[in-house]
Amino acid sequence: MNALAVVGVGIRAPGLPGWVEAAAILAGVASYEWKELPRLMPTTLPMTERRRANDTSRLAIAAAADAMAGLPAESVAEIASVFASADGDGVVLADLLAALAKPERMVSPTLFHNSVFNAPAGYWAIGANAGSASTAVCAGKASFAAGLLEAWAHVTSTGRPVCLVAVDIPFPSALRGFATGTNAFACALLLGPGDDEQRSPYGRITGLRVTLAEASASSLPSALADRFEGNAAAAALPLLERLSRRASGTIALPYLDNKCLAMETAP
Amino acid sequence: MTRFLNITACTLANACGTGWTAVQRALRDGQSGLRPNDFEPARDLETWIGRVDGLESAALPPHLEAWDCRNNRLALLCLEQDGFVTAVQRARGRYGPERIAVYLGTSTSGILSTEQAWCTSSPLTQEDYQHRHSMYATTAFVRTYLGVTGPATTISTACSSSAKVFGAAKRAIDAGWCDAAIVGGVDSLALSTLYGFRALEVLSREPCRPFSADRNGISIGEAAGFALLEYDQPGEARVLGVGESSDAFHMSSPHPTGAGAAHAMTAALAAAGLTPEDIDYINLHGTGTLANDAAEDAAIMTVFGTATRGSSTKGYTGHALGAAGITEALLCVMALNEQWIPGTLNCRRVDSRLGSRIELESGPARVTHALTNSFGFGGTNCSVALGRGS
Repeated sequence: MNALAVVGVGIRAPGLPGWVEAAAILAGVASYEWKELPRLMPTTLPMTERRRANDTSRLAIAAAADAMAGLPAESVAEIASVFASADGDGVVLADLLAALAKPERMVSPTLFHNSVFNAPAGYWAIGANAGSASTAVCAGKASFAAGLLEAWAHVTSTGRPVCLVAVDIPFPSALRGFATGTNAFACALLLGPGDDEQRSPYGRITGLRVTLAEASASSLPSALADRFEGNAAAAALPLLERLSRRASGTIALPYLDNKCLAMETAP
Repeated sequence: MTRFLNITACTLANACGTGWTAVQRALRDGQSGLRPNDFEPARDLETWIGRVDGLESAALPPHLEAWDCRNNRLALLCLEQDGFVTAVQRARGRYGPERIAVYLGTSTSGILSTEQAWCTSSPLTQEDYQHRHSMYATTAFVRTYLGVTGPATTISTACSSSAKVFGAAKRAIDAGWCDAAIVGGVDSLALSTLYGFRALEVLSREPCRPFSADRNGISIGEAAGFALLEYDQPGEARVLGVGESSDAFHMSSPHPTGAGAAHAMTAALAAAGLTPEDIDYINLHGTGTLANDAAEDAAIMTVFGTATRGSSTKGYTGHALGAAGITEALLCVMALNEQWIPGTLNCRRVDSRLGSRIELESGPARVTHALTNSFGFGGTNCSVALGRGS
C-alpha cells in the first residue's frame, strides 16, 4: 500500500478552534487572528476524569474528536490511535518537580498518573470507550513525523483506520527552556487505507518516504509561522495547509538528523 | 508463509546483574536483586528497590559526556554486554546504518537529572534537557553510540513501553522503513516514580510478593535491555506476535475483569497463529499489588484457564516500569533457550482467590512458546508471543 486516505482532520490551537475554521485560514480564504484558547472541557469523559484531565489530554481529545466528528460512537471506539508529542505536559512536570522539591515530597495520585507521557492516550480511550491499540511516541522535534510513520505502518499492517494525534504545549516559566513553542497546538489526522477513494474526503497522502534533505523541510504557512514556530506538533502545518487546499504536490516535514519525511498529497 | 522476526542478539542489565551470565546465575540461584532502599536521593523512603550497582560512579566516554545521566549510563552499561555492539556492527555491514531503526521504551527517561537540578535551583539548559531528560533522549543516545541512522522513536506508554517496541519495529520493517531494528527499554530510579507510587499507596515496604495472599505492593527496580531484530538471520528466539489494547477504564487502576489484558493476549496469539494451548510459559506482569495481580489472574483465566504455567519475575528484578517489557521478554528468551522456567520469588502461598497456575518454584520445563504480559497506566496493555530460535 503506497497511499493513505485522509478521512478526517482535527485541530485545536489559539485562533484555530476547529478544522472548518482552520482549513479556511490555511487555504487563504480567511485571515488568522490569535485568540486565547478557552479551558477545554472533555465532555466525553466521566465527571471525575473530566476534572482531572491535564492540558495536553484536553487538547488532544478536542483535536481527535474534531477529526472523528460525525462518526458513530461504535466506529470511534474501534479506531486505533497514535499520540505524538515532543515534550509531553510541562505543566504537570513543573507541578511534579515542585512537589518533589519540598521536604515531605508529597505527590498527589492524580498528578502522578497525569505525569505519564501516554496520559492523553489513556484519557482518550476512557472517553471514547476505545479498547483498541493505542500508543504514545516521541522523537524530539521530529515527533509529528515519527507519529505519521507509526500511524502509516499501523494502517498498512492492519488495513484499518488509525487516528494520529499530535500535541505540544508551552512550558511554564520555570521550565521555559525545555520546550521552545510559545503557543499550544494539537492536530489529528484520521487515516485509512488509501485504496478506497470514496472514503478520502480530504484527499490522500501518497509515497511517504524518509529522505536525506536535498530540499529543506517545507516552511510553515506564513500567516501562522510566528505563532507556532518551535511547537513540534505544529510541524504538521505544511501538510494541513496542503490538505486544506486539496492540492497535489510534494512536501517535506522535518525528521531526524538532517533528514526529511517527504510525501505527496493528492486530491 | 508467515515470516517471523528473529532476535539475533540481545543483552540485559538489571538488579540481578549486568549481562546474561550474571542475570541467569541470579535466577538459577533464586537470588533476588532487591535490597532495602539505599538510593541516595530518596533515602527517607522505607521500601525495597532493584538498584543497578555502579551507576553513581559510571562515566560516559568523553565525546558523549553531554548525554550524561543515570538513564543513559544504564543504557551504556547494558549495551556493552554480551557482544551486542559487535552484533550491531555486523548488521550495519549487512544493511547499512541508515537501514537500522531504534525503538526504545521508557517511562521517565532521565528525569532524575531535572529533579536534582530543580532541587539545587540550577535548572538544566535546553541542551541538557534534550540530551538527558527528553523522552527521546535515551533513544537518541543509543543510536548515536551505535552509529545507526535509520528511523528512531521512543515509545512511552508507562509500563508497557518496552513490550510495544516489538510491535512498532515489526510494522516499520514490514512497511519498508528499515531492514532491521534495535528494540529495547531503559528506565532508571527517580524521585517521581518512587514518591509517585508511594502516593498511590502501592509501594511495598518489603520485597514485593507477586500473587501472594499477603502481597502489599511493588518494589521499583531499574533495568535496561536490548534486542536486535532481523528477518532471515538465525536467532536466539523468534517474535511470533504482538497484541496491543486499551482498558478504557481508569488512568491508574486495571479493569477488574482484566478484559483489556485478555484482549491483548488474544491478539498476540492470533498474530502468532497460536492457540492458548500452544503457550508453555507466561511471564506475567505480576507487579505485586492487590488489584493488578487480581485483574491479570482474571484475564489469564479468561484466555488460558488453569492449565498454563505462569510466573512473575518481579521478585528478582523489581518492577522496572518502562523497561519491564524488554526485561521480561528476554527472560522468556532465557526460558526458551534453557528449557527452564523461573518461579515467583517471594511468593510462599498463592492467594486462594486467584485461579490461574502460578509457578512458585523454578525448574526445567518444555518451553516451545512463551508469552509475556506488560500493562500500564492509562490502561495500556501489550502481550508478546515468542518462540524458539531457528
